[in-house]
Amino acid sequence: MTDLYPTIGLEIHAELLTKSKVFCTCSAEFGGEPNSRCCPVCSGMPGTLPVLNHTAVEYIIRAGYVTNCEISRFTKWDRKNYFYPDLPKAYQISQMPRPVCLNGYVDINVNGTEKRIRVNRIHLEEDAGKLVHDDATRSSLADYNRCGIPLIEMVTEPDFHSAEEVVAYVEKIKLLYKYAGICDCKMEQGSLRCDVNISLAPKDAKELGTRAELKNLNSTKAITRAIEYEIYRQSEIIESGGKVLQETRRFSDTTGETTALRSKEDAHDYRYFPDPDIPPIIFTEEELAAIKQALPEMPEQRRERYISQYGLNATDADNIIGDKDICDFFEAAIKAYDKPKTVANFILGEFMRRINLGEMSMDSLKFEPADLARLIELGETDKINKNNYKTIFVEMIGSGEKPDAVCDRLDLWVKDDTSAVEAVIDKLIADNPKPAEQYRNGEQKVFGFFMGQANKALKGQATPNTIKAVLEQKLKG
Amino acid sequence: MDTATLDHISELSKLNFTPDEKNVMLAQMTDIIELMDTIKEYDITYDDTKDHNEVRYDDLRKDIPAPSFPTEKLQQNTSPRDNCYVVPKMME
Amino acid sequence: MDTKNITAAALRRMLDNKEISAKEAASEFLSEIKTKDDKILSFITVTEDEAMRNAEAAQKLIDAGEAKPLTGIPLAIKDNLCTDGIKTTCSSRMLGDFVPPYSATAVEKLIAQDYTLLGKVSMDEFAMGGSTQTSAFAKTKNPYNTECVPGGSSGGSAAAVSAGFCAAALGSDTGGSIRQPSSFCGVTGLKPTYGRVSRYGLVAFASSLDQIGPIARTAEDCGIILNAIAGVDPKDATSRDVPFTDFNEKLGKGVSGMKIAIPKEFYGDAVDEEVRTAVMNAAHEYEKMGASLVDCSISTLKYAVQAYYLISSAEAASNLSRYDGIKYGLRGEGHSFDEMIRDSRNRGFGDEVKRRILLGNYALSSGYYDAYYRKALALKQKIIEEYNAVFEQADVILTPTAPTVAYKIGAQDNDPVKMYTADICTVTVNIAGLPAINTTCGYDKNGMPIGMSIVGRRFDEATIIGTADAFERTFSPVRCTL
Repeated sequence: MTDLYPTIGLEIHAELLTKSKVFCTCSAEFGGEPNSRCCPVCSGMPGTLPVLNHTAVEYIIRAGYVTNCEISRFTKWDRKNYFYPDLPKAYQISQMPRPVCLNGYVDINVNGTEKRIRVNRIHLEEDAGKLVHDDATRSSLADYNRCGIPLIEMVTEPDFHSAEEVVAYVEKIKLLYKYAGICDCKMEQGSLRCDVNISLAPKDAKELGTRAELKNLNSTKAITRAIEYEIYRQSEIIESGGKVLQETRRFSDTTGETTALRSKEDAHDYRYFPDPDIPPIIFTEEELAAIKQALPEMPEQRRERYISQYGLNATDADNIIGDKDICDFFEAAIKAYDKPKTVANFILGEFMRRINLGEMSMDSLKFEPADLARLIELGETDKINKNNYKTIFVEMIGSGEKPDAVCDRLDLWVKDDTSAVEAVIDKLIADNPKPAEQYRNGEQKVFGFFMGQANKALKGQATPNTIKAVLEQKLKG
Repeated sequence: MDTATLDHISELSKLNFTPDEKNVMLAQMTDIIELMDTIKEYDITYDDTKDHNEVRYDDLRKDIPAPSFPTEKLQQNTSPRDNCYVVPKMME
Repeated sequence: MDTKNITAAALRRMLDNKEISAKEAASEFLSEIKTKDDKILSFITVTEDEAMRNAEAAQKLIDAGEAKPLTGIPLAIKDNLCTDGIKTTCSSRMLGDFVPPYSATAVEKLIAQDYTLLGKVSMDEFAMGGSTQTSAFAKTKNPYNTECVPGGSSGGSAAAVSAGFCAAALGSDTGGSIRQPSSFCGVTGLKPTYGRVSRYGLVAFASSLDQIGPIARTAEDCGIILNAIAGVDPKDATSRDVPFTDFNEKLGKGVSGMKIAIPKEFYGDAVDEEVRTAVMNAAHEYEKMGASLVDCSISTLKYAVQAYYLISSAEAASNLSRYDGIKYGLRGEGHSFDEMIRDSRNRGFGDEVKRRILLGNYALSSGYYDAYYRKALALKQKIIEEYNAVFEQADVILTPTAPTVAYKIGAQDNDPVKMYTADICTVTVNIAGLPAINTTCGYDKNGMPIGMSIVGRRFDEATIIGTADAFERTFSPVRCTL
């Protein structure tokens, strides 16, 4: 039995973060009451015409630049014709022979190994509406709010050979698109959607096997499961002497299996032809240079800055950059308190811990970056004892209360009232004559015991330096 | 044009014909295609970059949203349910 | 008021001089429609109440001395131009009850001048045809002879103007749909340059060819209406921002020194001798006025009808796919989406529309695209090239508008090829996106009007309007005797 080797290609659809739809002026926001974000154009009324959104074109060019694509100087739009109730015009405006972006690549890192994935093309098209199925009345209800949301479709070459590589690529694309400011990449909301083409063949085979196209992959976890299931399913077929059919298959999150949607035999003949309502575009070198110039700072550039300017180590820099929302939070926080390393430590420590515990999420933070900056500043300037960070932070997470207000309310300000400290320490030494004796006999390690007890008794109302100084003085007697 | 082709094109067009209609249509379409076929003798190729009907990037519509259309008015030519367009149930 | 002869320009003077009120003007046309349109069948919807309301609003502006050129002028609108709140059927069962929630930009621009809407006029179904006999609701007849077709697809517009039912009308022209019915009905019709008038709200037939334009009694009236409806529109990306001041700026200036091209292919055997003779007589008339004639050639003409039908049908097949009965229009029955939309389309569309959809999908389908659709696009480029060459040596081109005068109703039934080839004289103008105007240049032995077309450079409507006007000043039209 020869080893079967999977070959995988991806189609990634991403909804662009424009304010208006790609061919009309309706809001491109997610959601809304059914058909409340529609107009005669996006609902396909007779006589209406599409007018292309400038920013959608800018954003697909950004997508091209961040994935090392060539940008076509001449680009045009085509109609993809098919009947479906979520497509009110019965054609989707898309791009066939002249996409905006061609021949790019993206480097991924899987278990320490660099790998280059080739991008075949990226084109701009319009999203379709949504259907809700109603069993009771045997009908489907169509909502066109999503019709006309700008969508870019990236097609890769079949350069992947494992689910791990695919996931690494999808994560990388999410990162690039988010930093480019063109997509929020929320797979669960469908703003980033991934179709997987997968085939199996013996490793040294000259030709690829017959591929299946997997749809409905709403998370990177679903991608992994679907690929693994499909490798299993196709190998079973091949090893038992059967033939894999070229078909579209739907992945089910509940069963973890894929099932056939339609086979290629009854595939559509989409009758692509140039859309006569949308003139082609010619770009000048100056226009493209300006778009490139206006690209937001990308992860690589931030990483460089964090290491060389802020003195972060590579791992810390990568960890902060790995999540754009956290990274943006970090950027905003250090604008309020210019100690990048300190702020980074807090974010990579307590801040991330609370996120990982599920106690807070970047989507619904109740406090501002400046509030976190203030908390760290209070600790760094000995206004509060750092031991109280957690107490204060938990309050901020829960209610958004400002750190100063929390300290007022819970009486957490460092008083540095030496006489109060002396009183507490005097009592401590009196209550623990034996350890005090040991210290005086040169057993330095019991000092830690006294520090701990003093801190506890003083509840962070004095700085550790003050406590330490008083303790040393008193213990020496 | 043969029957199979007519069937295929009718399918793409979402049109049905009765056998009688089909016979008439087949004859007419055959005549029409015969007329169209005369262009095959003309040796010429299409270059889409020479249509000269392009626009400039800066002429595209600025990304400024405007209020959408009143749903009720948009749907005045159909009978919606819950503000949605109603179709026979789609199988996935 | 002589409703068959009154021009928009003359009516403007009468309205401004208070010789007639806007309501009286509207009423006179409405009463003509009421008493005579049963013989012509040009109107699908008569908007009497709307007309009276419009006239009242117009009168206030006239009284205030704030009238614009079309304020209070009663017009008819082709039934493929969307009118907010007023049924727009495209002469199709599919849209028999369709009430658009918005108006076409061209209509909005007329509203901005406070024109008077008399109603919506008939056409070939979805503008596909040259006889108005494919209309599901009003198979319009020719006012010169009700046994003959009025031409099409804007047959309702042309017949209504010819019969004196309106001062002028809007039509649309995809392959001759303004010029040919104007020719058959003895009136003046202008197809503007592609991109001159916004197509927003014009129910699309073939998007790369469709253009809205006026049908009127004189070239001057065409210019007045074009002044109102022309201009770039943010809702139509194919409309172009080519500035203009007044399309009538060349009226009365004559044609002295002008070069008029006579492309030989348009004067061959395919064109009736009576038509050829009448158009050549007009050419010689221009010579007498000081113009010179230039021989030229459009060699691709023999492929023009094919290129036109391939491009227009391909676009139409796609444009008409949206008619599935879900959002608007005739809703068929069926247990599945597929069954339902087939039923909607089978019942909603007439035979000619079905033929065009089939042809279009054939030309676009896998395996045929290169041989038909792509080849047609290549021919389009070649046709444009040939016209550009002609305009290097001439200012305008003169051709017959149609190979024949209006023919008998039924003469082309069930013979689509005959019907298609009759478009030979008009389609290249649409393919090349040029402006062209039809005006009457004579009558045949039976008194049926013969039209000629003056074709201009892109966006040079003023020159063809001036050229047509020069001839009209020497010509005495014979109006129909309805």
